[in-house]
Amino acid sequence: MFDIYKEMWQRRKMVHALSLHEIKREYAGTVLGSIWGLVNPLMRIAVYWFVFQIGSRAGKPVDGAPYIAWLAIGMVSWFFMNDGFRLSSRAFRGKRHIIKNTPFPIAILPAVQIMYSFYTHIILLVVILAVMAFSIDPSWFWLQVVYYDFAGLMLLLGLGAVTAPLVAISKDFGRFLDTVLIFLFWMTPILWNVDNAGRFDKIVKLNPFHYVVQGYRDSILFKSGFWEHPVYTLYFWIVVLILFALGNYMYKRMKPIFLDIM
Amino acid sequence: MDISVSVKQLTKKYKLYEDKWGPIKEVVTKKKLHKEFLALHDVSIDFPKGEAIGVLGKNGSGKSTLLKIITGIADPSSGTVDVNGTLVFLDVSSGIDPELSGYENIFMKGVLLGYSREQMLEKVDEIIEFSELGEFISQPVKNYSSGMRAKLGFAISVNVDPDILIVDEALAVGDSMFREKCMNKMNEFKEQGKTIIFVSHDKNAVENFCSKAAWINQGELIAFGDSKQIGSIYNEFMSGRKKLDEIKSSLEFIHSIENVSPEAGESGLSIGLEGYLYSSAPDFKGSYELVVKDTRTGEAIAKPLALSSYKGDSSLPDEKKDTSGFRISIDEQDFSGFLKPGKYSFLVRYKEEHKEGEFPLWAGNLDLNITEDMKSRYINKIKVENNTLALLVENVDKVQEQVNKIWFEEGTLNLEGVCFVRGYEVGSPEDAGVTLHVVNLESFKEEMYPVELRETDEITENPSFNPQGKNYNFAGFRAGISLDHLRPGRYEYRMTYQMKNKPGHELLIPVWASKRQEYPSEPFLWKDREIDIQTSTKYLRMTVK
Repeated sequence: MFDIYKEMWQRRKMVHALSLHEIKREYAGTVLGSIWGLVNPLMRIAVYWFVFQIGSRAGKPVDGAPYIAWLAIGMVSWFFMNDGFRLSSRAFRGKRHIIKNTPFPIAILPAVQIMYSFYTHIILLVVILAVMAFSIDPSWFWLQVVYYDFAGLMLLLGLGAVTAPLVAISKDFGRFLDTVLIFLFWMTPILWNVDNAGRFDKIVKLNPFHYVVQGYRDSILFKSGFWEHPVYTLYFWIVVLILFALGNYMYKRMKPIFLDIM
Repeated sequence: MDISVSVKQLTKKYKLYEDKWGPIKEVVTKKKLHKEFLALHDVSIDFPKGEAIGVLGKNGSGKSTLLKIITGIADPSSGTVDVNGTLVFLDVSSGIDPELSGYENIFMKGVLLGYSREQMLEKVDEIIEFSELGEFISQPVKNYSSGMRAKLGFAISVNVDPDILIVDEALAVGDSMFREKCMNKMNEFKEQGKTIIFVSHDKNAVENFCSKAAWINQGELIAFGDSKQIGSIYNEFMSGRKKLDEIKSSLEFIHSIENVSPEAGESGLSIGLEGYLYSSAPDFKGSYELVVKDTRTGEAIAKPLALSSYKGDSSLPDEKKDTSGFRISIDEQDFSGFLKPGKYSFLVRYKEEHKEGEFPLWAGNLDLNITEDMKSRYINKIKVENNTLALLVENVDKVQEQVNKIWFEEGTLNLEGVCFVRGYEVGSPEDAGVTLHVVNLESFKEEMYPVELRETDEITENPSFNPQGKNYNFAGFRAGISLDHLRPGRYEYRMTYQMKNKPGHELLIPVWASKRQEYPSEPFLWKDREIDIQTSTKYLRMTVK
């Protein structure tokens, strides 16, 4: 039932090596190289902070944490979710020139893209945490980020496994996912506090991305453990499990089809 | 025989939709809206280990699909693939990322093939050296020429040391020096007992490089076997000389001449043939005859061909070995008058209850070491031409001959001309004996007519024919053919020239007649017959109606 994940695990070295190649590929030909991987997200955090804090005067401290810190942490995890989702859903279509003429275990491709996003995410995370350590006292709860990174990785793996075969078959589905991602960005409480949603907060929380984003903030800012909301944690993992099973099914079912039509 | 790759009953279907909503409509309406395209249909091949096997086929024949299924790039619709060992697929651009540098691509491709960074570090110098890219190796591949890309791709593929190398027309690019280097490398591979599957539409490349070959046409495996044999039938098909049905029916028989022992003695020429022959159809119950055929006229003789057990070392299926060997001798004395100057081919005629046919015996693997010509009455040469055996019979000397005039006179057809052999003096009519043969081209029965030699100075006084000043005074000839005996049919004229003095050769030639304006242009009517002289081929022929 989870064959493709087993394969990803067995070939983790290949996944790792290929994701490093992805980084090289992404910044090949640029002078500054992977620095661009930092500059871009930092700029975006700065722009959102300016718009909300200075421009619209909406950025009040959230539960005692400064808005900029709250925003930055949320954005760091969101960038990871966003890039991982976007890239892994295109894992097959984007690599069709290799798939078509090189025999290798293509089931690992979504994992390659997710690991690539993860590595760039780690760099950004370290930089943000280093900056933050000046204003907020680090605590043991910061280590809980490891758990939420893991949760994020698993969520992405499931989503990638489900969407990548679909995107490979239908270009339209790829376009549809782009729209969904924009929708998700605004519907996930990244720039705004979930408490403001009032009675809609249950619906907002159904979005599993929120579990990861909120978990980051809980770990860095609010010293709150994932075991403190066990139902939500259980819900999240059930969603991941369903995605895994569905993803495995999708891959098995769709692979012969997308190999033919790509 | 060890098998490195085995495919069984492989079928690959592609669905072709007319509009892009087709797949969705099909799911919704549950109607069949696609056409099926069979890229491969029931293909079963065992690729033996340690050999180079060619896969021949024109573009779009399904050979690339077969490769993709073997390599795992595509899934078969049905059938199984079994691969023993590591496999590298060599395509010009496979797994090469244009954004990365050549150096990084080496590692990238290494990773895709399942090698670790450390393992690739050991090979990287060798790869760079083989690729001849020099300092370009650190440049992005997008700046490479197509030849450079191919070099990089090939260098990586062969140096990672796979058990099975699959080459897809990759050698079409790259300069000849590099191509030769690749060929050497692949030969090295063969010697190490590795398997190479070589895909091409070029039969010469396959014949030169591969020991075995498969021919795929429109998704169907037509034949698998010796590369030269397959190459020659592929060529016959591609050049349009034979239709697919013809080839398929001749493929029913597996045959080869493995040994030829000719002998020329007192009683004429004798040719012994050894080899094997069997039908791959399981229920074949026919009989065989060996046929020797004059390729120009179609005149043929036949001798029953009995099969016994085969003792050669060819890779015949065991169950066939007991009943597929043959050993036969063709003796000229049994067929007197059949062998004349000309060219002869060796065929097998098979007869079954409902069908019969002929095919030339395969001699592509025959290693002929006959260098001397065999002399009987004529000079006999045995050769292998287009992978079949050919017997060439030639006159010992050359007769110069021309028909100067042809005319009808009452019931007689008169011929007048010159004939002589250079260097053989004819001072009197007793020096040579000449006979004219009129041969029916269907029954090959012949009538002989004496020829009168006449005095002429046409040759003796002609310095271009007679620079040495020899005596050819009796080079003229005249013959008369009675029209009363002629039966309807097509006829050919031949002439025997016998030297009465030394060296005493007897020469047989078709009658040459190229002075068209001197011959009757209208058919001649005699009694109820109509006689038409034909010289359009420059040889004298005649039709009687």
